[in-house]
Amino acid sequence: MTVDMSRYLGLFVSESTEHLDALARTLVALEKLSAEEVPAAVDALFRHAHSLKGMAASMGLEATAQLAHRAEDLLETLRGARSRPPRETVDLLLATADTLSAHVRAAAAGEVPGRADSLVRALESARAGFTPGPVAGGRPLPAAVPQVPPGPVAPAEAAAPAVLPPRFAVKVQVVASCRVPGVRAFVLYRKMAGLGNVFALTPPLDELKAGRLPRNEVSLELETSAPEAQVAEVLGGIPELSVLSLSRVALVSPSTSAPVQAPPGPQGPRLVGAPESARTVRVRTELLDDLLDLAGELLITTAQVRELGRQLPEEQRAPVEEGVDRLHALVKGLHDRVMGARMTPIQVITDRLPRVARDVARRKGLEVELELSGTETELDRVILDELADPLLHLLRNCIDHGLESPAERAAAGKPAAGRVRVEVRRERDRVLVEVSDDGRGMDAGRLRTAAVERGLLTAAQASALPDAEAWMLCCLPGLSTAAEVSDISGRGVGMDAVKRAVEGVGGTLDIRSEAGKGTRFSLRLPLTVAVVNLLLAEVGTEVVGLPLSQVVGAVDAAEAPLSEQRGRRFMPRGDALVPVHALGRLLGLPESAGTHRALLLAEAGAGGVVLEVDRLLGQQEVVLKALSRPLDAVSGLSGVTILGSGRPVFILDVPRLLAP
Amino acid sequence: MAKRVLVVDDAIFMRNTLKDVFAAAGFEVVGEAQHGLEAVERYKQLQPDLVTMDIVMPYKSGIEATRDIIKMDPRANIIMCSALGQENLVMEAIEAGAADFVVKPFKHEDVLAVVKKVLGEG
Repeated sequence: MTVDMSRYLGLFVSESTEHLDALARTLVALEKLSAEEVPAAVDALFRHAHSLKGMAASMGLEATAQLAHRAEDLLETLRGARSRPPRETVDLLLATADTLSAHVRAAAAGEVPGRADSLVRALESARAGFTPGPVAGGRPLPAAVPQVPPGPVAPAEAAAPAVLPPRFAVKVQVVASCRVPGVRAFVLYRKMAGLGNVFALTPPLDELKAGRLPRNEVSLELETSAPEAQVAEVLGGIPELSVLSLSRVALVSPSTSAPVQAPPGPQGPRLVGAPESARTVRVRTELLDDLLDLAGELLITTAQVRELGRQLPEEQRAPVEEGVDRLHALVKGLHDRVMGARMTPIQVITDRLPRVARDVARRKGLEVELELSGTETELDRVILDELADPLLHLLRNCIDHGLESPAERAAAGKPAAGRVRVEVRRERDRVLVEVSDDGRGMDAGRLRTAAVERGLLTAAQASALPDAEAWMLCCLPGLSTAAEVSDISGRGVGMDAVKRAVEGVGGTLDIRSEAGKGTRFSLRLPLTVAVVNLLLAEVGTEVVGLPLSQVVGAVDAAEAPLSEQRGRRFMPRGDALVPVHALGRLLGLPESAGTHRALLLAEAGAGGVVLEVDRLLGQQEVVLKALSRPLDAVSGLSGVTILGSGRPVFILDVPRLLAP
Repeated sequence: MAKRVLVVDDAIFMRNTLKDVFAAAGFEVVGEAQHGLEAVERYKQLQPDLVTMDIVMPYKSGIEATRDIIKMDPRANIIMCSALGQENLVMEAIEAGAADFVVKPFKHEDVLAVVKKVLGEG
């Protein structure tokens, strides 16, 4: 009997990709680990190779299994040596991981991967180099060193058992009349967290936020130095809650529990895959996209039903509207859940950065220290997909063009190893991703010269350009100040593509640089692309939408003090003059004779821009639909949506609308 | 002394309803705002004891206004006025520092119950 293995192909691809990612990550981390941590890391490497070999063999992928087998052999030998493998061996294993990844991709495409004989031989001879002598190319470890499993060890607890503040057990019930028990319970959680550390929250935070509250009850333990009376007072100050019990708990073993929502990020890269929750299922991202699409359509349809209801005779309207309200609440809830399911930690795309940093630095003979922070921050999967290549390019750019050689750095009084930081943090309803280096900085003067040489700017325009805008010149297609185009950053994506990708998902790119100090690329991204808050404006007979995130303010044209200089109009803002554009003219609409005009101050470039419209129609949360061909080629449009009335409305992308 | 309230909502209907609720219960409505930008300005001028804040408003949302006000005055008492279906927005506002919330449509006594709890009188 033969088993059709193709049924398992999807699982094989996803699981082996995870092993290969972990393998590469651990290899890169290996060079930075302390000597005590190395054996555990090599153990982990061995296990990944071993799992791969087994999976490939059962899939009948002989060449893959053989390659994984040789890697496993080499790692087994390294395991015996109990020392840090030399750099060349790490290079070889990384190359093996790359080839294995190519094999997996080939298998996913239905091909049978070819043999990798030279790599197999290299692995064999590397292994021979380590045997039979007990130690080669490394300092032996003292035998008595205990094997400490790597990973987050709570340092405070490991050190000295400090005197812990008292802990209270709290149990409450949200009253039955509360219409949003989840929100009510969330208020409780926040108020408790305001007093100290919350443990053992039941139901867990995600369930609670989603409104899943069995019997409307919530229990938690609060570790706080506040007196019991104060805890009771805070509990008593929360509406729609009855306190079932509040008592002090005896501490048995505090080290066994971690606070709810403790920052998950371990300091170094994780070596061993975190245990996956047993209650998760894998779904394809396309399925989530489809679900989101459907939920979005439901939102639009609900709005259309609401419009229809408004046309009913007065006496029939109330029950319909009530039903529509309920329907809307349900559909919105569904939409939010699906959105939530698409949120993914940015880690999925930053995990590969250390590897890339190492490769680029090695090839250029540079030393680099890459620091990642905030990678647990979550973003919509769609944005992450769009961001993966640009982020890679920015990192390469920082190392390749930004960092000086160790000799130059020494001459400038800098440490030999260049420092590149990738910092991610939530900023209001946006996520800020900053990629910065401490290298030579960009030369605004050279960028100006290059722009003039290529005829992109006149000499007068170039010299009038402030530095903040001159740095952005590097995003113009074909403009690079690097004397030679290296194959490292010059591949595939240029800075223009980075800027396009960031703006394509509704984000902004900002560059700051200082000669001799380094460069910082700041990407401000929305959390999700699918739902945007729009400001609807009327221009002539058209209605257009502007993302609220791009609108800074609005004023009545009658009250706005405009000034005119050489035929162009400006509005004063602080010390600066902001140019005023008639939106209708920008869009190529016929001149309208609107009487009531409004001015919108929007974000674009350094100083912003004022757009003149006929009338503001209000604000609306809408589901963004991507434009399909040929409309996607129209610059200045970021999408389209359908209002409740059935009217399609284009969503403007202000910075690109004004771009030359 | 009567507690001083700032009512923020882009709908006149809602502002009037809330003003009636507060007037009947002996509060003094010292100001109104139609959107988030105005709310922050009015808060700065009036320093009220309590703010009722709509969530979805033009120019600046209630959540952003809450963030700005809390930045100026971490002890500000802000009550979000939300609708069913806005649970996530309300939680975001609570995270931003809002003290509590009411769900529209509301009964007068529901609003007053929440207000009194927040002001430590209930």
